[in-house]
Amino acid sequence: MKRNRIAEVTAALLIGSLVLSACNGGGSGVESPAGKATAATTGNASGATADGNAASSGDTDGVILAADLSKLPNVAKQRTDMIIVGLTDPSGAFTPYFHQSGYDGNVSSLLYTPLVTVDDKGLPKAGLAESWDISEDQLTYTFHLRKDLKFSDGSPLTAEDVAFTWTLLHDKAYDGDAQLPTLSIEGGEAYKAGKADTVSGITVVDPLTISAKLQKPNAMALVILGGDVLSKAYYGKDYRFGQLDYIKKLHEKPLGNGPYVLEKFIPGQEVRYVANEHYYAGKPKAPRFIYKTSEGDTWQYLETGEVDYASFSATKENIDKLKRLGFVNILPYTPSTYGYLQLNLEHEPLKDKRVRQALTYGLDRQSIYVDANQGAGEVANVPASPISWAYTEEGTNPYPYDPVKANQLLDEAGWAKGPDGIREKDGKKLSIHFLGSKNAQIDTFIAVAKENFDAIGVEFTPEIFADFNALVSKVEGGDYDIASFSTPMLTDPSEGVLQFVDGEIKGYDNPKVKELYDRALSTTDIERRKAVYQELFQLLNDELPVIFTSYKKTVYAYNGRIQHLSVSPFTGLSSSLPNWELK
Amino acid sequence: MENVDSVKAKAIRTGSRPRRRSSLWSQALQQLLKNKLAVSGLAVVMLVAIVCFAGPLFSPYTDNKINMALMNKPPSMQHWLGTDKLGRDVLTRVMQAGRISLTVGLASMVLSVFLGTLLGAVAGYYRGIVDQVIMRVADLLLTIPGLPLLFICGALLSDWKVPTDYRMYIVMLMLSLVNWPGLARMIRGQMLSLREREFMQAAVVLGLRDRRKLFYHLIPNLIPLIIVMATLNIGGAILSESVLSFFGLGVMPPTPTWGNMIDAANNMIDFQEHPWLWIPPGVSIFATVIAINVFGDGLRDVLDPKMKR
Amino acid sequence: MSVYLGKRLIYMTLILLAASLLIFSLYALTPGDFISGNIKLTPERKAELREIYGLNKPVLERYALWMKNALHGDLGYSLAQQKPVLTLFNEYLWNSFLLAAVSTFFTWVIAVMIGVISAYKQYSWFDTLVLVAVFAAMSLPSFFIGLFLIKIVAVDLKWLPPGGMLTTGSNATGWAYFTEVIHHMTLPVIVMTILGVGSLTRYFRSNMIDVIKQDYIRTARAKGLKEGKVLFSHALRNALLPAITLVGFELPALFGGSLIIEKIFNWPGIGQLYMSSFSLRDYPLLMGFTMLIAVLTVIGTLLSDLLYRLADPRVRLH
Repeated sequence: MKRNRIAEVTAALLIGSLVLSACNGGGSGVESPAGKATAATTGNASGATADGNAASSGDTDGVILAADLSKLPNVAKQRTDMIIVGLTDPSGAFTPYFHQSGYDGNVSSLLYTPLVTVDDKGLPKAGLAESWDISEDQLTYTFHLRKDLKFSDGSPLTAEDVAFTWTLLHDKAYDGDAQLPTLSIEGGEAYKAGKADTVSGITVVDPLTISAKLQKPNAMALVILGGDVLSKAYYGKDYRFGQLDYIKKLHEKPLGNGPYVLEKFIPGQEVRYVANEHYYAGKPKAPRFIYKTSEGDTWQYLETGEVDYASFSATKENIDKLKRLGFVNILPYTPSTYGYLQLNLEHEPLKDKRVRQALTYGLDRQSIYVDANQGAGEVANVPASPISWAYTEEGTNPYPYDPVKANQLLDEAGWAKGPDGIREKDGKKLSIHFLGSKNAQIDTFIAVAKENFDAIGVEFTPEIFADFNALVSKVEGGDYDIASFSTPMLTDPSEGVLQFVDGEIKGYDNPKVKELYDRALSTTDIERRKAVYQELFQLLNDELPVIFTSYKKTVYAYNGRIQHLSVSPFTGLSSSLPNWELK
Repeated sequence: MENVDSVKAKAIRTGSRPRRRSSLWSQALQQLLKNKLAVSGLAVVMLVAIVCFAGPLFSPYTDNKINMALMNKPPSMQHWLGTDKLGRDVLTRVMQAGRISLTVGLASMVLSVFLGTLLGAVAGYYRGIVDQVIMRVADLLLTIPGLPLLFICGALLSDWKVPTDYRMYIVMLMLSLVNWPGLARMIRGQMLSLREREFMQAAVVLGLRDRRKLFYHLIPNLIPLIIVMATLNIGGAILSESVLSFFGLGVMPPTPTWGNMIDAANNMIDFQEHPWLWIPPGVSIFATVIAINVFGDGLRDVLDPKMKR
Repeated sequence: MSVYLGKRLIYMTLILLAASLLIFSLYALTPGDFISGNIKLTPERKAELREIYGLNKPVLERYALWMKNALHGDLGYSLAQQKPVLTLFNEYLWNSFLLAAVSTFFTWVIAVMIGVISAYKQYSWFDTLVLVAVFAAMSLPSFFIGLFLIKIVAVDLKWLPPGGMLTTGSNATGWAYFTEVIHHMTLPVIVMTILGVGSLTRYFRSNMIDVIKQDYIRTARAKGLKEGKVLFSHALRNALLPAITLVGFELPALFGGSLIIEKIFNWPGIGQLYMSSFSLRDYPLLMGFTMLIAVLTVIGTLLSDLLYRLADPRVRLH
């Protein structure tokens, strides 16, 4: 804060000084339009790479190895048993399902291992559950736990704990964002309403076997049910229906079953872990691990050796600078998200598909998202990230920048240029009211879009909102034409298309899209799902209920001494961290 | 003891002022012109203003055309101060930015100083119930957090469809409306002390009217303080524009201002690798601030009744 | 005097009441709420959560509930951090106070010294140099000065750590802990001092010039007193008097945290906490913190009024 004592005491802009900070916060505080939701993936630490094995296998596939480890700062050299990773802002609510910030999610992902995890392609993989069965009708899921599972205090982990966890999430006082209660497990509603003492669809078959019966099939159920497990003895001791406040007291003292155990949380500074000797896959190689709170730019921490691992936008300059450092390995990575411009389909002009296509042709996405970003992005044309198993561009239109085509489409749609160069139809001007929240790229977007839309006779009036919350509330009010967003982390391809069927995008109602969405979810056969998604992507790519904009590209830079490091697009560090080793 | 002496001396001097009031301002002007430092300060401010307002007329890059091929190029013969991340000419943008930054900086300073002085002086002079009302309102305003206020303001202006070009001025006005308490308190404090001095007792004995006492005897004594405060605030006011832009309340990109140009240096890469992005706006703000302050100092010297020797 | 004080205390309570309502409404009216930022939630779930948190109730009802609890000393739980607001204050506030107190101390000492010298040697090269330095500091954004020092002192020279409050992973206690904290707070304190010292220097210089020109200083000199004594005991005392009123204003600043500095230097202070809570619309925490600052502000202004009377006994307030 600008602590100009007198100036502050006196007249001028006290408020100005108060909020200047936010200004600098642009980088992290309000960065991604997805706000809280994407926090989990946009933290400095969490995240992923397209090819998780790249680093560990020593494969040169994209990884740039450190050129000169002798340049490693002394601070980092002296660390022999400890790995430090930056994380924006963990707050201390480390109980899975209960944390409100994605950063706390990052912390708890090392403390807990889910029953079913996902591999680098987002496909289910055994975690605490050794195997699972799905009934013919795709309604009953049965999980077989590994033998001799233990919580980090040595107490046994059984099906009872799983049942307790599932039940707890159906409590009416539960205020987290877990998806499990939305699966409609049999008896879940009754439990929530207080009409039943247990959730009837949850059955503990034996201490190692548990099943859940759904009321309708859902391809994501396996991963959702196969989440983290809370100890009944620890978290269930004081549980009474409708009373969950007691759990708040346990947030800072989590009892987990993951690779690491929380040693100490120093608010605003560090989360310290030690290896969990009871971890089912064996005690992790690095005895100690620390998440260091570090907001915004982390260059200085990487350069001085205060952290071992940091993420950067994959701009040419960043990569060059990282190469010059010499002591870091550089791992390229594409997150599982995609960016898009939400269109207000309740506004007359945008109801016309030709107008939507014209705007897409008429917007130089290559310049905005790739060139101006120095290569730290890629133009998107379908609602899935290139790292997803469902990703395909086959049969889709890439909509290259083509103002001629755009003009042509607008002419066809009946929008003729008026005397001032702006297109009109029925006496109404073709004007686009854009909403965005403040971030590093918004200036570029507005500058280029203004020029682009000018060239096709579309009036462009931008508005910027200071944070994501303010933007969302304006968008919810419906007073806009285009708004810039990015999805949260997408594990299953269905999450990327959900917004086209659940009414999120108002005014878009295509039965064909709904049918394809349901069909893709009605089976767990990957190949069949792939085919359905291809058809769905083609349809959405043609209809353009939103304008797909870009995929982000980032790089992870880490201390060259760390071996076996990989980052999964879906689980971040947590799956490979137990194997990390300091050379 | 010392106080009493000084006050007496002052009372005598100030008391004699109204008689030669007619020539006061021209005298001050003459003295000001003799102060070389102050004159050069004024000259620099004028120069900056002229360059900013007239300069772009001679630039071939005023259309701010985007050219990705010229991204982040260092200064060259074509682009004297280099280009920014969209290949736009930095020199042209600095000049265009100056138009807005200068206007905004000066306007917001004048406005808050005016309000603060007026309310503070009135409160300090009349005391009692007037003072209580003004100062308690000030207390209330001081407790209000700025952040939600700006957000609400942004939302309202957006809902009312105020053109983005005008929003900044409305917000500046609003900021002055809530920001006067600080200066007002200071002026009031000074006023409370001044009005008890002997020269004021003399003024009372002479049966002068309130307005006369306030404007001819008290406010001139506050001028040094006001000038110091005003000139000190100008830098902050110029920078505060970038804060407003951040909340979507300032100018819209691609329109440049010094504040939002210097914000471009808010990351290590640009800070280290592209100094031509932040040095020009930084130097512009610095030159303007220092010139205005030097001029303010000179002005203060000639207007301060206590400085006449 | 005691009548005046009594009256002021009553006004204070009234102002705080009015302020609390005003502040509560401001936060409630700020676009977006704690729920709206989470785009993973379905509209039904959002409605459910608003019900659980009581965000669907009218503002006045929510205010009344908050006030009732606050009067019982219960500021509630932070929605985002799931901890009692008071616990969070305790975890973050003192870190901010530490920075603010130390830098305020240095700011005042340095400002007084420079102010006196540059007033005494008005228009000398020293004065001019100070002038340039002061305005350079004032015309640059604080993030800029912070980044500059981090780059030079921490990254290139490696003299001081680039941020944080502790060496990562350190288990230092006692004296070692103390030196570690000092080590880490040096850079932020320097930046805060640089930022604060400018305007205060100008203020003292201006006061001092006023005082030096006055007759009693001439008298003192005429008496044959040493210049140092004239300056520091006669002149300075009178130049400092008006500054006493500033002390009251420092009160909220001491506890308010410094948003930018804390962010740049990764200092675990309340300023950062406030900022992140604001972008999440974590109402209980925002309300608790703002009211704390409001109370300090009101006490501060009362303090400065009282000090003013002390500094200049001629002043009558009514």
